Amino acid sequence: MTAPAQTFPAGRWSQWLGQRPILLIGLAILGTFLMTAIFARFVAPYDPLFQDGAARLLPPSMAHPFGTDNFGRDVLSRVIWGARVDLQMAVIGVVFPFLIGTAVGTIAGYFGGWIDTVLMRVIDVVLAFPFLVLMLSIISILGPGLASFYIAMALVGWVSYARLVRAQILVLKTQDFSVAAASLGFSRRRIMFRHLLPNALAGSLVFVMSDAVLVLLNGAAISYLGLGVQPPTAEWGIMVAEAQGFITQAWWITLFPGLAIVTLAFGFSLTGDALADVMGVQE
Amino acid sequence: MHRYRFVLYRPIQLIPVLFGISVITFVLIRLIPGDPARVLLGTRATPTAIANIRAQYGLDEPLLTQYVYFVKNLFAGEMGRSILYKVDVVQLIGTRIEPTLALVAMGVVLSLLISVPFATISARRQGTLADHTVRMLSTAGIGFPSFWLGAMLIILFAVKLDWLPVSGYGGTFGEKLQHLVLPGLTIALSLSAILTRSLRAGMIAGLKSDIATAARARGMSEGVVFWRHVLPNALVPTVNLLAVNIGWLIGGTVVVESVFAVTGLGQLMARGIFTRDYMVVQGVALAFACATVLVNFLADIITVVLDPRIEL
Amino acid sequence: MMPLLDIQNLSVTFRDGEERRELLRDISVHLGKGEILGLVGESGSGKSLLCRAVIGLLPSSKLHVTGGRVLLNGQELTDTAAVRGRPIGMIFQNPTSHLDPVMTIGKQISEGLIRHRGLSRPEAGREGIALLDQVGFPDPAAAFVSYPHTFSGGMRQRAMIAIALACDPEILIADEPTTALDVTIQAQILQLLMDLRDRRGLSIILVTHDLGVVAQTCDRIAVMRNGQIVEVGEKRALLAHPHHPYTRQLIASHPSLSHASDEVPVHAHHKAPLFQVQDLRVEFASGGWLGGRKTFRALKDVSFDIWPGETVGIVGESGSGKSTLARAMLGLVPITAGEVLFEGQSLTKAPTATLKALRNHAAMVFQDPFNSLNPRMTIGQTIAEVLQSQGETPVEQIPARVDELLDMVGLERALAGRRPRSLSGGQCQRAGIARALAVNPRVILADECVAALDVTIQAQIVALFRKLAADHGLTLIFIAHDLAIVRNLCERVVVMHHGQIVEDGPSARVFAQPARAYTRALIAAIPDIDPDRPINGGINPETQQEYAT
Repeated sequence: MTAPAQTFPAGRWSQWLGQRPILLIGLAILGTFLMTAIFARFVAPYDPLFQDGAARLLPPSMAHPFGTDNFGRDVLSRVIWGARVDLQMAVIGVVFPFLIGTAVGTIAGYFGGWIDTVLMRVIDVVLAFPFLVLMLSIISILGPGLASFYIAMALVGWVSYARLVRAQILVLKTQDFSVAAASLGFSRRRIMFRHLLPNALAGSLVFVMSDAVLVLLNGAAISYLGLGVQPPTAEWGIMVAEAQGFITQAWWITLFPGLAIVTLAFGFSLTGDALADVMGVQE
Repeated sequence: MHRYRFVLYRPIQLIPVLFGISVITFVLIRLIPGDPARVLLGTRATPTAIANIRAQYGLDEPLLTQYVYFVKNLFAGEMGRSILYKVDVVQLIGTRIEPTLALVAMGVVLSLLISVPFATISARRQGTLADHTVRMLSTAGIGFPSFWLGAMLIILFAVKLDWLPVSGYGGTFGEKLQHLVLPGLTIALSLSAILTRSLRAGMIAGLKSDIATAARARGMSEGVVFWRHVLPNALVPTVNLLAVNIGWLIGGTVVVESVFAVTGLGQLMARGIFTRDYMVVQGVALAFACATVLVNFLADIITVVLDPRIEL
Repeated sequence: MMPLLDIQNLSVTFRDGEERRELLRDISVHLGKGEILGLVGESGSGKSLLCRAVIGLLPSSKLHVTGGRVLLNGQELTDTAAVRGRPIGMIFQNPTSHLDPVMTIGKQISEGLIRHRGLSRPEAGREGIALLDQVGFPDPAAAFVSYPHTFSGGMRQRAMIAIALACDPEILIADEPTTALDVTIQAQILQLLMDLRDRRGLSIILVTHDLGVVAQTCDRIAVMRNGQIVEVGEKRALLAHPHHPYTRQLIASHPSLSHASDEVPVHAHHKAPLFQVQDLRVEFASGGWLGGRKTFRALKDVSFDIWPGETVGIVGESGSGKSTLARAMLGLVPITAGEVLFEGQSLTKAPTATLKALRNHAAMVFQDPFNSLNPRMTIGQTIAEVLQSQGETPVEQIPARVDELLDMVGLERALAGRRPRSLSGGQCQRAGIARALAVNPRVILADECVAALDVTIQAQIVALFRKLAADHGLTLIFIAHDLAIVRNLCERVVVMHHGQIVEDGPSARVFAQPARAYTRALIAAIPDIDPDRPINGGINPETQQEYAT
């Protein structure tokens, strides 16, 4: 359940963070990726698309710390530029479902009745489809690409948030403080936005972090299958897909983009765990 | 045995969901721009075939009538023909279902074999190096992309060590099993990260619970407390988590079967999307959704068996 | 004679890094054979911790026994794990959470019989059924194969006692065994413990916060506070001549002692009634689609009036419908049939106007002090919100009014900036009352608002209510399961049972001469601080079986 998030004076922020190493590590990982993505131009040693015919399939060395791929492109530079696309996928792929789902869940939970029944049935049906299968079906209709991915995410991803928030609202509605608010004649809007939603949000904010992991993995998987970002763009999923033909000769083309995904996901997970701890949310 | 009465009436309650599934799969295909007959049959279809499919699916009729045709055809076991494979979709699914079922079963079994021992060690030795290792691995493991993990397993076990076949699906039972180890492990590792975390949390809560305190106060050893009281109580939410993740698992087969070239439903779907073989995509999506519904129903039964308090 | 259990100078310390706190300090107390020792204290006094320390089950690894020793039959206890179950058994406050829900009661009993008495499984079956019979299960063979959740709270506590007895203990530590139970059930469980002492020669340490419970069951009493025993003695001597000021305060706070005079002002009913409840029926749907829809009738044709200025206690055990009644009167649950009139306006016929009047003139105080305040808002914000929403206080005067309200309920003004979790239960409850007063109500409905508080805090809150009712001419509707508190506070009492009113009248009359058998049983079951009053008022438990559901 929800415990209050304590407020601290601004000056003690660093001290507060210092006592929470998990949160610190998580945020540090996310921050590093964000910086890398923003300053990719300056960080990357080579042009991610530049093909050096003389440097094909080179193993990791001083010149190419992550080696080169079959076109002679620098894997490190491609991994760095890939951060731009993958981080963007994880963020945008979470934001819309979060907003839609929270709104739907709040409405369903608060008003109940037939609105709730209809919305819950819709959620049941969407959840009956394996997530990736429904995503792929939608993308297959819209055609491959990042935009299709975001649209499919918004169409499918909101259900988890809606269910989570609705469940929270249903519990909170029976809590004494919301009965008190009703008995004091507060308006519906006040009860919903001042009393129910702030308490319900803690859970879904934590879920945002674990959802970011799922979105990142699905986004990369869809690109891997060739239905997301298209080559020659540097994106981690595509890089692994392109490396598959050379799996027996050049392990490094596969290894590094995958490690990037794992590390970024790890950053999201740690931050999520730490947030759950700080906000007193049980997953 | 009134607690099991739901086994009889639950299927009736599932009708709205199944109805919804059929509506979504129907609508998805109709959303594709262009002449639906051409969409369904491909660009090289003969005029006769197009006329036939128009009649069979009522493609000239209003959308509602088309849906009625669609459902009628479903009940007759008709889901159209694959453009690519030139066979009936139902038949096609029939021949491809076995590897996928085996893969999912392998994934579930392996993930339980991995997560139960790890969670047990971690929960019973909380705060030790072993516990921290398990926690870190399971936290990181959730973020392992299956397409990459599969490739890494191939590099390690098939290429470097040469223990297992790189890809494909064998003919004999032994061969099939051999071919399924790596893809099964790929699925299982991701899933067991999730299960381990939940089981560990459940076990730790159980070890601190009043039930455990009461058992200790009766002089029961830590072993008895854990195996007889903590574990059975921790398993109930894990079954539910497994059911929730079955969608994840089934969706995962699309990727994993592509990585390992297993000729199952997942690969069929991925191919179908590429070749615009929409009848196949529709059929597989429908099959996967029904399978998910069925698995959740089974999970409900298992939950009721495991926890005498639950009435559905 | 050598005591059976002798705790000498026991200390327990909490250690976390540099931090050290002594939670139990130099505790010395002993228990004789066949004796019942009452261990009394409020929450945080360390009474449960002491019991846990004896059998080495400290609730956290940061707690350490740092001094003293425990003698069992004169032998120093070195391996605490070896005495668990036998010879020292333990039962707990909440039987629901302490029984394993996925294991039958029989299996849980057999576990102890097999481990401590070396019985085979069939022998354990026979012995287990005999034990269930002993603790009062009407059909022990059926209970043996049943799961805990199929029984009521009282029966679950009996099951827990049977499970403890299966280990064949000489000493039974009962940690608040009746706190979660209704009064009539509490009386039965206490009676059972006394019977077991007589029949089996069991020695019992009875831990409780209720001085009334120990006064009637124990031989000696030890009073604990802040990790120390402040006073130990034979119960009559201790209750009659308490030495320590805290013991005196505890005795004075006990609600069974009547503070109010028995003569209550009789209200002239010339004014119009504030509330008129007529044939009120409230039903809830339970069960689901196709699973057989049932309705549960929480209130069955309840009728009564409330007059302005009255203090009315509505009492009943859990499930009697008393909370539903309060919520229905405020229009917070839908009414199935019947009428609620507030100041002559009908809640069913003119809902909008009546609800508006209710919101402006009636306020509610809740049971759980933490849960009744929004955890994300400060106390000041919570109170100010009511004032803003009412719109009667000019915005610039709101802070002053908040201070004023805090003064009225005896809260420091500085606490306005704090959130509920950083306050104590009593402080939160005062804040909840301040919020109720913020609407400037004519009537306050208090729903079990002291049930979660320690006795000394309870007494303070009840005094606060009494003062507020007197100072502001408030009408007070006080819902409680604790009859003793109602007797102290209310001039009129309404007794509810299974959704119906069984008795309604002036407190003095109802408590002195209850007209109905149920009321009589309820009153008899109140734990009394008078040690010479027999438990359960001497009423034969058999005649009460019909209420024991």
